Amino acid sequence: MVMSVRDWAVRFSEASDRDQTIGAMARYYTCTYMWDMGTQKVIIEMIDGKVYRINTDPQPLDAYDFVLRASPATWREFARPIPAPMYHGIWAASFRRDLKMEGNILVLMQNLRNFTVQFELLRKVGVPV
Amino acid sequence: MAKHSPVIGRYVTIEVDGCEYKVFYLRNGHGGQPLVCQHTAGCHNHQWRGLLEDEEICKTYDVIAYDLARHGKSDPPLNKEWWKEEYLLTADHYMKFIVTLCDALDLKQPIFMGSSFGGNVALQLALHHPDRFKAVIPVEAAENSPGFFLDWWRHPHANAAQVCGSGVWDLMAPQSPDMDRWLTWHYYTQGSEVFKGDLYFYSVDHDLRGKLGNIDTKRCPVVMMTGTYDFLTPPEATEATARQIPGGIYIEMEDIGHFPMSENYPLFAVYLKEALRLIEERT
Repeated sequence: MVMSVRDWAVRFSEASDRDQTIGAMARYYTCTYMWDMGTQKVIIEMIDGKVYRINTDPQPLDAYDFVLRASPATWREFARPIPAPMYHGIWAASFRRDLKMEGNILVLMQNLRNFTVQFELLRKVGVPV
Repeated sequence: MAKHSPVIGRYVTIEVDGCEYKVFYLRNGHGGQPLVCQHTAGCHNHQWRGLLEDEEICKTYDVIAYDLARHGKSDPPLNKEWWKEEYLLTADHYMKFIVTLCDALDLKQPIFMGSSFGGNVALQLALHHPDRFKAVIPVEAAENSPGFFLDWWRHPHANAAQVCGSGVWDLMAPQSPDMDRWLTWHYYTQGSEVFKGDLYFYSVDHDLRGKLGNIDTKRCPVVMMTGTYDFLTPPEATEATARQIPGGIYIEMEDIGHFPMSENYPLFAVYLKEALRLIEERT
């Protein structure tokens, strides 16, 4: 049973906002990014290390800085408690699997520490696909 | 009572291609067989801290882990205005540095082990200096390894230290202990100004395609090891490389990544001891 995107957004926001590793360097973690999971897209808006808003029904003109796109199967692999090799991170999956990183990659690089930690929260929270 | 480590650090000054390098190295071991260890690109010799304090290996081996010039406590050349030119490491200079250092330390037939760009230079040494080394252990290495010579490592609009630290984060296995993965991250925040220059060797200048058949493993045995979570030189790349080397040996390391010695030393040690045993058998 796939969890609803609304439930996922609540769980993800809570997990991120109480994560100590993000909290230790939260100030200035401000950006907006999309996760395109094929059958489901979300836009996550971060302000000073906290989840300000998650748009669970993005429309064509909704803005974001950068986007990660992959198939639903790949996102499900990301969400395993211990992902298999090559699904264990955004670099691994972009080099060896179907993950694409698009948009203003500079913003991703500027926030790479916290974004990486946040991405790995999917192993605890799961994905809505 | 103070708790001292048996590891000792020293400096030695060498000259390579007209560059004066004051090289820092860590050393421990009571055995006569030198085991010379090269850290990964953009890092330093503390990656080998687990090996340097491994009592079982240090009983038999003289473990020496150095900082390559411009890394850790080894400064850039002291007789040149190095800040006026871009640092781009070449295979030729890299090999000369290692051989000159081994000569300066009067090391007889050392075993050379390196990881990532250290593993790639181990292959180069086996090809070009087979009689200077008893054997080589290329870790996380391949005949070529394109794709990582990136501007992001030192982009002035991003926090280069964090880009380097987190950019290599998922080169490590998720099973590796948090402390060791974050220590490796910490080391990587310290080398952002040289990382890209190191990767010039790793992803551009290092290319042994079509040359591996010339490596003579009777003179210099080659034991390659790669972790299953390495996305840069995945297991199949290392295995394909080893298969092209007559007599080359490949060991796959389960549940570990691109920095095995620093991300999970106890697991790496299991494989390393097997590699050392194979070398002893063949020499």
